[in-house]
Amino acid sequence: MICWSCQREAGSEAFCVACGALQPANDAADAFSVLGLPARYGIDLAAAEAAYKEQSRQVHPDRFATADPRARRASLARTVQLNQAWLTVKDPLRRAGYLLERAGMFIGGDDKKSTVGGGDDKRTAEVSAPPAFLLEIIELHEELRAARRAGDSVKVAFMAEEIRGRAAQSMVGIAEALDSGERAKLEKAARSFMAMRYYQRFLDEALADAGGGHGA
Amino acid sequence: MAPDVLFQIAEPGESRVKHACRTNAVGIDLGTTNSLVAIVDAGKPICLTADDGAGDAGVAGDAIVPSVVHYAEGGDVVVGADARDRLAPDHPRDTIASVKRFMGRGMRDAEATRRLTPYRFAPAATAAEEGVVRFAVAGGRAVTPMEVSAEILKVLKRRAEEALGGPLAGAVITVPAYFDDGQRQATRDAGRLAGIEVLRLLNEPTAAALAYGLDKQAEGTFAVFDLGGGTFDISILKLEDGVFEVKATGGDSALGGDDFDRVIAESMIDRHVDIGRTDDTEPHFVRRMLDAARALKEALTADAEASIEVALADAEAPTRFALTRAEMEALVAPVLARCAGPVRRAIADAGIEPGALSGVILVGGATRMPLVRRFVAEAFGREPLADIDPDQVVAMGAAVQADMLAGGASRDDVLLLDVVPLSLGLETMGGVAEKLIYKNTTVPCGARQTFTTFADKQTGFDLHVVQGERELVADCRSLARFTLTGIPPMPAGMARLEVEFTVDADGILRVSAHEQVTGRQTAIEVKPSYGLTDAEVERMILDSFANAEQDVETRLLVEQRVEADSIVAAARGAMSDAPELLSDADRDAITRAMADVELARGGGDRHAIRAAIEELDHASKEFATRRMNRALEQGFRGRSVDKVDAELGAGKAGGR
Repeated sequence: MICWSCQREAGSEAFCVACGALQPANDAADAFSVLGLPARYGIDLAAAEAAYKEQSRQVHPDRFATADPRARRASLARTVQLNQAWLTVKDPLRRAGYLLERAGMFIGGDDKKSTVGGGDDKRTAEVSAPPAFLLEIIELHEELRAARRAGDSVKVAFMAEEIRGRAAQSMVGIAEALDSGERAKLEKAARSFMAMRYYQRFLDEALADAGGGHGA
Repeated sequence: MAPDVLFQIAEPGESRVKHACRTNAVGIDLGTTNSLVAIVDAGKPICLTADDGAGDAGVAGDAIVPSVVHYAEGGDVVVGADARDRLAPDHPRDTIASVKRFMGRGMRDAEATRRLTPYRFAPAATAAEEGVVRFAVAGGRAVTPMEVSAEILKVLKRRAEEALGGPLAGAVITVPAYFDDGQRQATRDAGRLAGIEVLRLLNEPTAAALAYGLDKQAEGTFAVFDLGGGTFDISILKLEDGVFEVKATGGDSALGGDDFDRVIAESMIDRHVDIGRTDDTEPHFVRRMLDAARALKEALTADAEASIEVALADAEAPTRFALTRAEMEALVAPVLARCAGPVRRAIADAGIEPGALSGVILVGGATRMPLVRRFVAEAFGREPLADIDPDQVVAMGAAVQADMLAGGASRDDVLLLDVVPLSLGLETMGGVAEKLIYKNTTVPCGARQTFTTFADKQTGFDLHVVQGERELVADCRSLARFTLTGIPPMPAGMARLEVEFTVDADGILRVSAHEQVTGRQTAIEVKPSYGLTDAEVERMILDSFANAEQDVETRLLVEQRVEADSIVAAARGAMSDAPELLSDADRDAITRAMADVELARGGGDRHAIRAAIEELDHASKEFATRRMNRALEQGFRGRSVDKVDAELGAGKAGGR
């Protein structure tokens, strides 16, 4: 990359090695590399947060309020990318989904828009939840709805607890699979990940009235 | 091409600021009731006071400039204490107070239509003008809230320039954290009208935390409860190693001390005034009653009972109104209770227990009231911190930020991480709001989403940008509409429109869009549009919780219907486009399945629609494959089969 400011070789870091001007963001960088982290599920969150804040200090628009417009644009783009990366990495579920997509597992749905960077030409394997699972979850939903209608808050809480337990168990499996790098395990993890979505929806519904106080 | 296009962001204001040894940058708290300006002097933020009152709008020795602007017959403008105390009683219509409540608001907003307003509004000449309130004042002038605010800012600018002995380099102006995009735009525009380089819009609670945190070397998680004259904010921040990180924010941009005055005045009128003889829309009367209510409220902060005499009409003997603190508290308690929901949600959104807080910081004049302090103590389960001047702390925080932005005393250790107060999204088919950026996302932030055409040969996209938490567009605040045109006709689902949202550090949204197949693009700075009243905005978040479940159901049904329409349209189009690829058996099966989809679509059961769509998918699979293969041969080489499949609407119509 040639530096926009001094027209010399800028190097690959955020700031030009020759003149120190902030360089434009690399749009293709993925969330982990933006934060300087290895692309794996098991990460040191505290260290990741420290890295996020340290980088924020350096590239944040507050540091460039009166700088050259090109530096300000670079600062805005880099901070947007950095914030997005941290949003993806800090949340276990988002992090898992991101890693699965990165490994070529196609997981449709809510988080697509949070994808950072390229990866368009990767091999994708579409994953769908097994029918037996869907059937079960539909039945559970109906059971939950009936319990809510009947005002049986004990049963609702009990069901939520069970699903929470299942979700936690799935998450352990997903975490293990993600860092194993084995294709077969990843595919299984992707299916578990799909299941997490359903668990999440189930829990949202269960907590809608049990959450006490969060409602209006 | 993508990176250049995606970050095609409007120039963030042409800076005329050059690096200087001394930063003539100031912090401005543009408040509903009072405004202040502060600078950093010898490393400490201080609020500037009126020296001698000569040519200044404040009271000598006082930092406060009342946010009151008087427009005189001859064209003169008077700002501050003089306008409030001397001119407002005699010229209620020409003397604008609490203009902040009108910022970014339209003629149909509650603020412009409520009871007990002393103002007269200029009728909107065009539909576009409905989006901005205009006060009809002396001399036949009509002024917008931005212009009125600019008059206040000019006074503060003059005061600062006199103190600094030179021109202002720039200013950080504070806004309520809960201000939406339109209100922020209006504030920035007011700064521009006043000839001020607006370095940043800073959220008031964040400014307060910054001033408090640096002054006290505080660390931990703090709540800032900011109840001013017209707005309410609640922010939860984590202070650690110089990082001020907002975890969650909430509030109500039309709730404050003014609303207390209003309920007190309404009660005074209802109990003691013979409306048969007195017109409660008469501006002098309204102004007097509101001022009397405010005086009673302030007296009752210290005293258990108070009374005031008001001349209801010029010729009449004054009427005495007496009120006890208990009576007043009974009146304002229901208004104050509106803070409870936002407080609970902010705590929940921040993912903390109230017990984990290190302290609660009070900001805003209304937090002086004993009732408000009791409310806060109860809401957080702890006594709020009392060692901060709730009037000055915001301006001081803004001054610190201004000094940092202008490159003053090196504070490389300080970092402010603020958030978006309300989710931002786009309208999609069926009036559903697709959120691109969720509330409480750290700014600056961005999001991209790809949309596609709904109908065959569609040549334009109408983009409708909305802000709010509800699922349906009709329940969110409309921010802007714009159109991307000139897309060559393609089958439905073939065009790829990528929309990019970028929220800058001021919390202001910019939207750009480009059609990926043709490369056509458009970029706009979101200018507020219209459609919703203030009350509707206030209701948005509350409703989103009350109706979360119903919303989801409605949304799923709407989406299912939209999908049904689009799949039937696609199938129909495909059949007429490529009849030669169709066997008689296929045609019969597809036609039957289409009829079933349309039948199911008319009902309210989304599962039935889903089932019918799947049936149609199944029936048309062979045909779709043949058609897709041909399409691929005809020039979609290089695209993955999955994508074309999805675009043709014939592949997996997968669940969400």
